[in-house]
Amino acid sequence: MLASTTVSLGLLGSQLLYFPSHNPTKPFLLPLNKPLLKSPNSITSSSFLKSRTSVRTAVAAVDSSDAAVKRGLQAGGEGGSNSYHFVVANAKFMLDEEEHFQELMSERLRLYGERNMEQDFWLVIEPKFLDKFPNITKRLKRPAVALVSTNGPWITFMKLRLDRVLQDSFETDNLEEALASSPIDIEFEKPEKWTAPYAKYEYGWWEPFLPSKTSNV
Amino acid sequence: MVAEMALVKPFSKFNTSIPKIGSSGRLKTRFLSVKMSSTATPPPPTAASKKKTQKQEIQESLLTPRFYTTDFDEMEQLFNTEINKNLNMAEFEALLQEFKTDFNQTHFVRNKEFKEAADKLQGPLRQIFVEFLERSCTAEFSGFLLYKELGRRLKKTNPVVAEIFSLMSRDEARHAGFLNKGLSDFNLALDLGFLTKARKYTFFKPKFIFYATYLSEKIGYWRYITIYRHLKENPEYQCYPIFKYFENWCQDENRHGDFFSALMKAQPQFLNDWKAKLWSRFFCLSVYVTMYLNDCQRSAFYEGIGLNTKEFDMHVIIETNRTTARIFPAVLDVENPEFKRKLDRMVEINTKLLAVGDTDDTPLVKNLKRIPLIAALANELLAAYLMKPIESGSVDFADFEPQLVY
Repeated sequence: MLASTTVSLGLLGSQLLYFPSHNPTKPFLLPLNKPLLKSPNSITSSSFLKSRTSVRTAVAAVDSSDAAVKRGLQAGGEGGSNSYHFVVANAKFMLDEEEHFQELMSERLRLYGERNMEQDFWLVIEPKFLDKFPNITKRLKRPAVALVSTNGPWITFMKLRLDRVLQDSFETDNLEEALASSPIDIEFEKPEKWTAPYAKYEYGWWEPFLPSKTSNV
Repeated sequence: MVAEMALVKPFSKFNTSIPKIGSSGRLKTRFLSVKMSSTATPPPPTAASKKKTQKQEIQESLLTPRFYTTDFDEMEQLFNTEINKNLNMAEFEALLQEFKTDFNQTHFVRNKEFKEAADKLQGPLRQIFVEFLERSCTAEFSGFLLYKELGRRLKKTNPVVAEIFSLMSRDEARHAGFLNKGLSDFNLALDLGFLTKARKYTFFKPKFIFYATYLSEKIGYWRYITIYRHLKENPEYQCYPIFKYFENWCQDENRHGDFFSALMKAQPQFLNDWKAKLWSRFFCLSVYVTMYLNDCQRSAFYEGIGLNTKEFDMHVIIETNRTTARIFPAVLDVENPEFKRKLDRMVEINTKLLAVGDTDDTPLVKNLKRIPLIAALANELLAAYLMKPIESGSVDFADFEPQLVY
């Protein structure tokens, strides 16, 4: 194994020896004398146009209709609307540490708004349904936060993304019961050192996703 | 896909001889096999001869974004559900639903701010912006080519995985197109059809494609989100509107990375032994070093948008490494201050190497001058590679899993 690393390092060396000594010319970056779409005779714009056409075709070939997407999103594939799927972990992980989680949630809320879809995903702080899952609770730091949705495949995706979460599902006819939570104040200590060139997402970003804030509960 | 992989050179297997780029018949066939449909029509003769001359002029330095190709037959085998019964199709179907949702269908719409901002960018910053757009476009386009071909090749053996690849190529095409339109604000355009044919393709076996593209996508996410969030707080540096699109844009990159995560989980042999650990560390190192050296050569760009290049890079490296630890069986200890010290020494050596190239010496003298510098760089790389690693991986595989508290 070490040998193969040295091999690659050797290759690296030999590449460096042929490092261009002057600024490389960029023949593939051509100035446009005319507007891009109006000069079919120039090499640049003609092949560029062609490639864009094929890109468009590719997009058209794989694009699904909005309706199909909506069906997929809302039916959630398996199970009826009585199935609630969830991933759960401690509150610090879910609400404080994983900032990309906030982005995914906001992105989804935006999309549901754009496409007039009824929200089918919620964040539940200290969910009551956990009482039915002793195998989960014995491995869970508290307070806990669950992401609950009627869309099973989406929860499978979120498990893949978040990884450090436990996943399960339950059945109930009662939405209110499914999303019931024990009231609790959540506080996070400020990180010891924060080196990112931006501030953390604000405390409380999760409020739009709490069941009490959504119209249908 | 953001190609931060340039440092990695093609290699076939342990203990085999070094493949010679350009002379291997296999490479050439694979190169020809990745083709966009648009390039199938032969260009008129005049254009062809002109292109031929241009082709010889393309100079790729060590750190330029690369195009990749792979062993498509092996890929077909890997995702054949009859051969590989462990494929977690539920995960792939979940991913397919996410990609079909197409969160950014209407996101990439330009406005007149672009041209106005481009006209205001003058002097050295203008040139640096052009280079940024050009490299980013090439990297996205490189993802498009690879994913499109994989989508095509896997259609029969695994339609779900194939469709995901096609949908990812949709995203990459959109990104590349958007960047190329950005170049038109500077009265330039990348000739993508020409690039498709003229660029060298780096061959990677499927398992290396998985490690490399996973890292590329995740590091791409962290770069873009960091720039976006920084500029949102410091709008005075918002000198070109493309950055405003990064928040939604990089969610695509992050999802692409998730898909490669699922691909690797479906092939546990790429994650669960000592070789996998060594390769994981190797790819992490290659990607991080490539980015660091690249960005330090272009610090004017990052300073132009109000970032400290090295701090920005270290943030991106640390976060990418944390993300990668969710799937790779081992990662580098990048939070150890010694790691950054090593990177900084590599930057110094690389600067000297570049300086040798700018002198008026004969090629022979230049190469002689480079030898000790290359040895020093190799030494730093090896030392960084051998630093004590961090054991990691998905909790779906972890041995410690039963005791883990969530």
